[in-house]
Amino acid sequence: MEIKVLFFGVLAEVTQSMFRHYSDIKSFSDLKHRIEDEFPEIVHYDFRIAVNSEFINDEPELKNNDEVAFMPPFAGG
Amino acid sequence: MNIIVTAMHENILISGPITPEIVSAGVSRLGNNTGLGGHSLFLGQVRSDMKGLKKVKAIEYSAYKEMLNKEAGVIKETVLSEYNDVNSIYILHSTGIVRAGEISLLVLVSAGHRHQAIAACTKTVELIKEKLPVWKKEIFEDDTHEWVRDKKA
Repeated sequence: MEIKVLFFGVLAEVTQSMFRHYSDIKSFSDLKHRIEDEFPEIVHYDFRIAVNSEFINDEPELKNNDEVAFMPPFAGG
Repeated sequence: MNIIVTAMHENILISGPITPEIVSAGVSRLGNNTGLGGHSLFLGQVRSDMKGLKKVKAIEYSAYKEMLNKEAGVIKETVLSEYNDVNSIYILHSTGIVRAGEISLLVLVSAGHRHQAIAACTKTVELIKEKLPVWKKEIFEDDTHEWVRDKKA
């Protein structure tokens, strides 16, 4: 399936991108491995996941054309 | 008019600092609601912290806009359901560059009486810190930068 991935905060800097498209993704775990292979440094950072703007605590079930956000700890205010 | 319902879907992001004029407009939008007895206003300011020998001159904020506006709506609903005397909650958050000494967050809570206005304002600010998808990059006087809370502890 096709997945749109958004990177925020320091993760946008690590990946040099605000968003990327991934094709032929089989699962969230597959997506995560693809990203980690591409940007090995990302394993040093904490992040939470949102799918289509909703927080996900467990490993999400992805559907075609989902938008997956990788979000470092929040620091608003 | 029900201020609360219209406020739920507002865009709370504002580009750059929250100026005194914007604060003033925020207070003015309350109009002349004679049923209200108290307004609690919190303004978050960019502090010039020292990181070792480096001094913070500005913060660059970034946000996940769609999620942020949705979460801000959830925060308002949560606080309104907990404080029954609260009539309206107004939130503005900066995005982009805000220099030290400038304002980056505004929370204005209006209620029938002061106790709930103040308590609900505090609660709203705490939820903003915890729940809103916002990130900040501290920019130092030598133009280097550091993300706040970036690496794993």
